[in-house]
Amino acid sequence: MSHSPLHISCQEVVELVTDYVEQALPADQASVFEQHLNFCDGCVLYVDQVRKTIDVVGELRAEDVPEETKAKLMSAFRDWKRG
Amino acid sequence: MKAYKFLRPQGTGVFTGYGWPLPAAGPGEWVSADLDPCHSGIHACAVYHLPLWLGRILYEIELDGEIVDDAMKLVASRGRLVRRVDRWDEQAYAEYTRMCADRAHELAQEHGLEGWDAVIEPSVPEGGALLGFIAARIAEEIDGEDGYHRERATQTDWLADRLQLSS
Repeated sequence: MSHSPLHISCQEVVELVTDYVEQALPADQASVFEQHLNFCDGCVLYVDQVRKTIDVVGELRAEDVPEETKAKLMSAFRDWKRG
Repeated sequence: MKAYKFLRPQGTGVFTGYGWPLPAAGPGEWVSADLDPCHSGIHACAVYHLPLWLGRILYEIELDGEIVDDAMKLVASRGRLVRRVDRWDEQAYAEYTRMCADRAHELAQEHGLEGWDAVIEPSVPEGGALLGFIAARIAEEIDGEDGYHRERATQTDWLADRLQLSS
């Protein structure tokens, strides 16, 4: 969180955005978060994009993912876990 | 309780998108909501909250039921829009933005913080909410949280006087 309780930076918006859209921020943090959105159009766009992404991903079912894509993802995860 | 609320031009909530019943011949219909600050409830401003939530369209709102007043906003379980604050028009908005920009320059130059000058004028097209924040942020750099709050109080006084608002 910010060094100041009065405001947050764009970087902090990026860090807190998931908690914000899931309404998991405490009220005081949500308040300074929204104050930032009130004057920062760039962060408003960013939050909108995150919301839309969550909406789209939330509607996606496992069976909607093509087998080929599933195989590529599983391979990527295995490589990532190997380090 | 008399309070104020900024809405988007279509009469919708800034953060929720909720379509408010607008006043016509009389006040708009009452709206009720569970009270959970920042998550649910009727969010509004006392006069001293206005600079924090500055927007383009301002309404007077009547709050009722349970009402919470925290440092940044009012939250109530019931509210209805009473009238649009017509004095808050494009001209007043531009004057407020200019006042905040001038205050920001003044503070920066008085305290050897001219680096801020490169930020102030390019921010003017973004409007009064940003310029108000910048002026308060410079005041905070000079005098900590007290400076920030003093600058916000200066902005509140300007709005209350220009729009003839009372709590």
